[in-house]
Amino acid sequence: MIRIAYLLTMLALVSTTVRAQQDPVAVGKKLTTNNCAVCHTFGKGEPNGQGPNLFGIAGKPMASDPSFKYSAGMKAAAAGKVWDEQLLDAWLTDTQSVAPGNAMTYFEGDEARRQKIIAYLRTLH
Amino acid sequence: MSETNKLPAASRRNFIKAAGAGTAAAAFGAVSLTARAASDIKFDAEYDVVVCGGGGGGLPCALFSRWLGNRVVILEKAGSVGGTAAKAAFWYWVPNNEPMRRAGIADPKPDYMRYVARLSRPEQYDPSLPKLGLSDWEYEMCEAIYDSASPAAELLASKGALPYRHEAAVPDYWAELPEDKAPRGRVLFPKDGLPSMSDGGRVAIRTMSAAARRDGIDIRTGYRVQKVLVDESGAVMGVESLTEEGTLFRVRAKKAVIFATGGFTHDPELRKNFLHGAVYGGCAAPTNEGDFVRISSALDVQLRNMNYSWMAPISLDKAVAKDGSLSGIFTPTGDSMLYVNKYGKRVVNEKLAYNEVCATFSEWDGAKGEYPNLTLVSIWDQQAQDHCASDDYGSLIVPKGSNDRHVLRGNTLTELAAAIRERMAKHKSALGSADLSDDFVRNLEATIKRFNGFAKTGVDQDFHRGERIVEKLFNGPVSKKADQKNETMYPLSAKGPYYAALIVAGNLDTKGGPKTNSHGKVLDTRGEPIKGLYGVGNCVASASARAYWAGGGTLGPIIAFAYRAAQSANGAQS
Repeated sequence: MIRIAYLLTMLALVSTTVRAQQDPVAVGKKLTTNNCAVCHTFGKGEPNGQGPNLFGIAGKPMASDPSFKYSAGMKAAAAGKVWDEQLLDAWLTDTQSVAPGNAMTYFEGDEARRQKIIAYLRTLH
Repeated sequence: MSETNKLPAASRRNFIKAAGAGTAAAAFGAVSLTARAASDIKFDAEYDVVVCGGGGGGLPCALFSRWLGNRVVILEKAGSVGGTAAKAAFWYWVPNNEPMRRAGIADPKPDYMRYVARLSRPEQYDPSLPKLGLSDWEYEMCEAIYDSASPAAELLASKGALPYRHEAAVPDYWAELPEDKAPRGRVLFPKDGLPSMSDGGRVAIRTMSAAARRDGIDIRTGYRVQKVLVDESGAVMGVESLTEEGTLFRVRAKKAVIFATGGFTHDPELRKNFLHGAVYGGCAAPTNEGDFVRISSALDVQLRNMNYSWMAPISLDKAVAKDGSLSGIFTPTGDSMLYVNKYGKRVVNEKLAYNEVCATFSEWDGAKGEYPNLTLVSIWDQQAQDHCASDDYGSLIVPKGSNDRHVLRGNTLTELAAAIRERMAKHKSALGSADLSDDFVRNLEATIKRFNGFAKTGVDQDFHRGERIVEKLFNGPVSKKADQKNETMYPLSAKGPYYAALIVAGNLDTKGGPKTNSHGKVLDTRGEPIKGLYGVGNCVASASARAYWAGGGTLGPIIAFAYRAAQSANGAQS
């Protein structure tokens, strides 16, 4: 009987999470929190963490927050680059290929996931 | 015949019937499948070895398994690999390591065993006994660290996954003990880390994950493993994970499932029920929510060492804010700095190693019926602010422009006390309504006067601050003054401004969970391995008990057990 209970609760979870999936903004926010919040904050004026605060990131020049100490690898790759959608997508695909040796290791091979994260980042204004 | 036997794998009809019948909290566990269900169940992928968790334990497990020729996947719950290790300094403590042997630094095993036994089980330690007072299990686990940490470190380095440098000057945390015959030299550090040795985790995760991808390990992030699937014979045949998008993903493991999912630092319920005193979270990755404790509870495992954790003081403000970047306070920076409790009294040597200072927070006053040191207040003056600020190792004294939301200010001690009171009131619900005592300022003045006297002579007659080797290691930056006799102490100025921060007990992570054998095999209540199920790192029981032997005393053993688990999972004799 216990085994059945396990199976039932497992199935119940599917039904609730499928509902949550239907709101793209909520999914984007959830993905971004789960993927980025260990190191980053998102609210206006919030302190930097291990990484810089990401409020208003879309459209900003790369490595341009004066209150954050960027790694040498990040600074070396930043010249002339702006966080447009293309750069954000390349960055989330593999941070180390955009700025080798920078402090952030992150790679997401799933384009749909990257797009959801970028969509959420673009709302941070 | 039980009803279970009639159940096929999840069917659409069952799904509809079951919808809404359970809660997410009950989603962890094990599913035992009948032979028929096991053959019917649909897997989304199949590997030889499935590693749950992509941090400081999971990445080495995956790499070692891959290098033995296995097809390997990492299922990582967070959106990114790294776990707690990515935030760590990533020193790793490797007894009798290769650079020591090359340099002729002797680190004989019997002395290593005495050192770890003396610190892990001081209440049982007896050097005249064959196993020094340790249990058979503890002894074997500690031996495994000595035997395997160095081969593991060498293999990771030789494959380019974790090149290191030898930090020959770093002392063990009890370098003075007669049992410690190799007081310096056991610490390795990722080769490209900063000279301050504070960023090793980011470097190590970068190099290990690059090697994992180079060598063909599949890494799936945003996959939270929540169940193990067990066949009729009791062998683990795979896992079921929940993706970030809310879909299920089942993976068959032909040889082994290795859990390296971290401890339960961020599960308040488990913390409250297993740890001693109030622990306010910690610098473990926010995803360390005790998943393996919950999953394995369905499997008749033996939970061990649940009462101890790798501890470090943390900022109350940052803990309450659930700051993902939270660091433990590893360097209690400041010479003209002291800690007092709510009565304005000094209760501890501020420069003790982080794990050790934490015993003070949970001290119980049985007469008053309270934890007098539930929160301590670090207090420093302008001199310390000017010369001892640091962004590394969780320093409370931070440079201008850094995140300083935890810092309180006052031009006088009375003003400072008012600011502390206000902040404690803000966190009232986290502190059991604790407040500063009415005589706090008077006591604080007396405490500072006494401390200043010690600072002038260089001898702390109350707590012996700065007398041990490790205390100088974690002193942080100071500007050495001509009249300073002890680099860890300097008189606090008679004039403000003064600064303060509230600190409470926290974890790097917990270190209890299912008991494994020294090859990482999870054991059932009879002491028999559960076929195909392994655990490595902070998700399983550590034999260190209360001890934090040295810097890297977490990660050195973890890579040793990752190495042994990968070999055993590949079919080595264990």
